[in-house]
Amino acid sequence: MSAPYQLTPLAETRPGMVLSDVVRDGKGNVLLAQGLVLTETMLGSLARHGVDMLPILQAEPAPPPIDPEAIQCRLDHVFRKQDRDDLGDWATGILRRYVEDYRLQREVNA
Amino acid sequence: MNRLTPEQLAAGVQDLPSLPAIVMELLSSIEQEDIDISVLAKKVSYDQALTAKTLRLANSSSFGLQVKVTTIQQAITFLGFQTTRNLITTAAITGCFPSGRCPGFRDKAFWRHSIATAACARALARRMRFNQDIAFTAGLLHDIGRLVLVTAHPEAYGAVVQWRAQHDADWQAAEQAVLGIDHVDAGVALADHWNFSGTMRQAIAYHHAPDVHGAGFLAAIVHVANAIVHALDLTAEDDELVPRVSSVAWDAMRLNEEAYLHLFRETELQFGEMSAILMA
Repeated sequence: MSAPYQLTPLAETRPGMVLSDVVRDGKGNVLLAQGLVLTETMLGSLARHGVDMLPILQAEPAPPPIDPEAIQCRLDHVFRKQDRDDLGDWATGILRRYVEDYRLQREVNA
Repeated sequence: MNRLTPEQLAAGVQDLPSLPAIVMELLSSIEQEDIDISVLAKKVSYDQALTAKTLRLANSSSFGLQVKVTTIQQAITFLGFQTTRNLITTAAITGCFPSGRCPGFRDKAFWRHSIATAACARALARRMRFNQDIAFTAGLLHDIGRLVLVTAHPEAYGAVVQWRAQHDADWQAAEQAVLGIDHVDAGVALADHWNFSGTMRQAIAYHHAPDVHGAGFLAAIVHVANAIVHALDLTAEDDELVPRVSSVAWDAMRLNEEAYLHLFRETELQFGEMSAILMA
């Protein structure tokens, strides 16, 4: 079992969740297979088999949403000595634009 | 008065903590190929802390090894002599200066910036087909003169820190205003004292002036890497400031935007991993 998972109390599990590992009863018999999508019926039957925790597969953590305004504000701060209108300073200007594209996850045409 | 004379600077350099003899040997021979590797591996392995740090770096994902190396000799076999030498010197230098001597000088932030610049210079060098190990070391050492000043003249450097905060200036301007010399002078003095190669000395001397005739390509790589790392804001210092980028140095890189975006990503990832190992 290598995928990230969380041992979840049966009461907190919901249909649609995915098992990250096999589930066995107290005697070691396999009740449900790894990778199975849970249904209402299964959850009911697991309670009768005395199972109280399930290994639930965790979705890959989504990248935290970016706050474009805060990012722009911080970039303007670190580039505070660069004057966007100073054409003689184009190299710093290009670096600034590239880092803005990178941090603000803008589409870039290769 | 906080002015420093060249004599005071030289005396400060003499009094610096010394690196392990093996590391001095490695630094001064960085462009030499004919070195007895087995003798070297043995000498390094006498220093357990240094060996442990070196091996952790070698096993970090930056080097993409499929097997874990457990001895210096193995690291040399899998990564090559140049790269291993590079890791040994990195592990030694980041641990050799005393910290917390100068009020207001943030040692951790200094090293985080140096490590990030090293990673970025290495990534740039690979795209330029320039020697990656030399670029890495030059990136790591480009501002070493600041540590020389902080270590040898902590009180005077405290005044530099204050001046810079008041004037929102770059370090070089603040050092010149307060001390009359700057970290480039101090870095060059150290390069001479520690017997760095000529290429490395040039890179330290000209990383703020890559346009100067004879500055060399390595100085341009370090100059651009330094600016990128400031722009990526990797040390997250409140007063982070991107220096003016030399258009000559930028032109010399000949990379398009797509290449830079990959470079930014690579720098961030390697920086995260390496600083965790080296700052532990």
